[in-house]
Amino acid sequence: MKKLIIAALLSSLAAAGASAETVVIVSQKNPATRMFSEQASQFFLGKSNLFTPVDQAEGSHIRADFYQKVAEKDPAQVKALWSKLVFTGKATPPKEYPNNAEVKKAVAADPKAIGYIDKSAVDDTVKVILTLP
Amino acid sequence: MKKQLLVAAVFAATAAMQAQAGTMGDDNLSISGFGTLGVAKSNTDQAQFARYNQAEGVSDKARIGLDTNLGLQATYKINDWLSGTAQILTRKNTSPTFTTDLTWAFLKARINDETSVRVGRVVLPTFLISDYQNVGYANTMMRPPIEMYGQAPIENVDGADINYQHAFGAINFTTQAFVGVSRGKLFVPTGAGSVATYRAPAAGISFTGEYGPFLVRVGHARANMKINDLAPINSLTGTLNQFGFTQLANDLGLTTGKKIAFTSIGGTMDWNNIVVQTEYAQRRAKEPVYIPDTNAWYSMVGYRVGKVLPYYAHASYKDAGSSVTPPAALPKNSPLGAVVYGLLPSPEQTSDIIGVRWDFAKSLALKVQIDRVKPKTKAGSLIFVQPGFNNNITVVGAALDFVF
Repeated sequence: MKKLIIAALLSSLAAAGASAETVVIVSQKNPATRMFSEQASQFFLGKSNLFTPVDQAEGSHIRADFYQKVAEKDPAQVKALWSKLVFTGKATPPKEYPNNAEVKKAVAADPKAIGYIDKSAVDDTVKVILTLP
Repeated sequence: MKKQLLVAAVFAATAAMQAQAGTMGDDNLSISGFGTLGVAKSNTDQAQFARYNQAEGVSDKARIGLDTNLGLQATYKINDWLSGTAQILTRKNTSPTFTTDLTWAFLKARINDETSVRVGRVVLPTFLISDYQNVGYANTMMRPPIEMYGQAPIENVDGADINYQHAFGAINFTTQAFVGVSRGKLFVPTGAGSVATYRAPAAGISFTGEYGPFLVRVGHARANMKINDLAPINSLTGTLNQFGFTQLANDLGLTTGKKIAFTSIGGTMDWNNIVVQTEYAQRRAKEPVYIPDTNAWYSMVGYRVGKVLPYYAHASYKDAGSSVTPPAALPKNSPLGAVVYGLLPSPEQTSDIIGVRWDFAKSLALKVQIDRVKPKTKAGSLIFVQPGFNNNITVVGAALDFVF
């Protein structure tokens, strides 16, 4: 019986994981309507300053998943890349927020901001410009 | 004892900085750092293998001084467009003990989304990785190939630089130009070793194009190198003057300032787990000087398997001629002629390097690297070479890179 419960729990967790979609969001005041994932990655990898990236917490699942999907980079590769930019004074890493709600709040408040959150956390304070598979 | 103290200091500083950064209420101040704890040794006591401009290298006893360093950086955001950054770096450089230098110190003004100007002290982007060669964590290899990175003598300038970044469709274009005056020390490994101080007005420009995982960079830099206390050269030019070879003495020496140019093309690729970094550079004297012209190149290829990245690299530098032509009145076989003609050609060396980088934990990378160093002429880049020693050497190193 216990085993069954654990199995059920595990499979529901797996299902939740599989169905979790990440969306890239901007403020309602931002004129952008659509974006490709390569474009989105430019802001998060310090290659463009046109938008201000807002990041999820380091070590979070959504963050690792996001960089893998938009740039095919794991957290260590992203960190190495940012080390290069930070210690040559070229850029400062994105500000981090602890969860979807805080990221959403920060993005909503800044017309230049770009962030990513779980699709289920979206509301009308922000605008979805890209849905990651 | 010194070693233990240093290691303790590194950890204490790291902990203190993290604690401080954690409790600092000021959103505008960010403190970060990088460092390497490394140990290396070679298979000979007949010569020392050193990084460029180090007063002490490694021989057959394990030493931490070759690769160990600690960098601390503070950035303060004054407002939306203005910020200030300072970075100090502790390492073994021109002195046999660990010393700390102010490597970066600038005010940065963001003119618009694509352009920024920095005023103060900036590290020269002479070659592809010049401005982050001390940040182990940001690099695949354990140390920059000395065959190329030993060609550029100066590290930073007090002046200004401008960065411009623009996307043309999927191609990201960056250009960086700098101008300023570099001042610093050069370690001269002749005899027992000495330190010379230089002053060099310098300027340069680089263009970088990036397309997805591919990056190509072209750079050109010039410096007008002036050194008054370069003991071995001054003693030679003194003798030449005594014997009436005043023109030759002026041609060889650096006391009047000599223009030297560096041109390089390099590229990186990180595609389908294949990691490539390669570069070719020329050093050319723009007026007569004893410093030889050189051509240098290296290529590194790695293949990423999860968190482990094994790599192989080959590096080489060769003589490319001299800007000085000794007069016919100074025959090659005269004692003084032999010294002059012996001085002019560049040392030559190649290296084969294998290594592995393992990103085993958050913000930590472990590297192990073996360099097979093959001096071709004049003992290559080895220092304190015993008379008659002409062998290839093997250098083994392990390093822990961290960022915080």
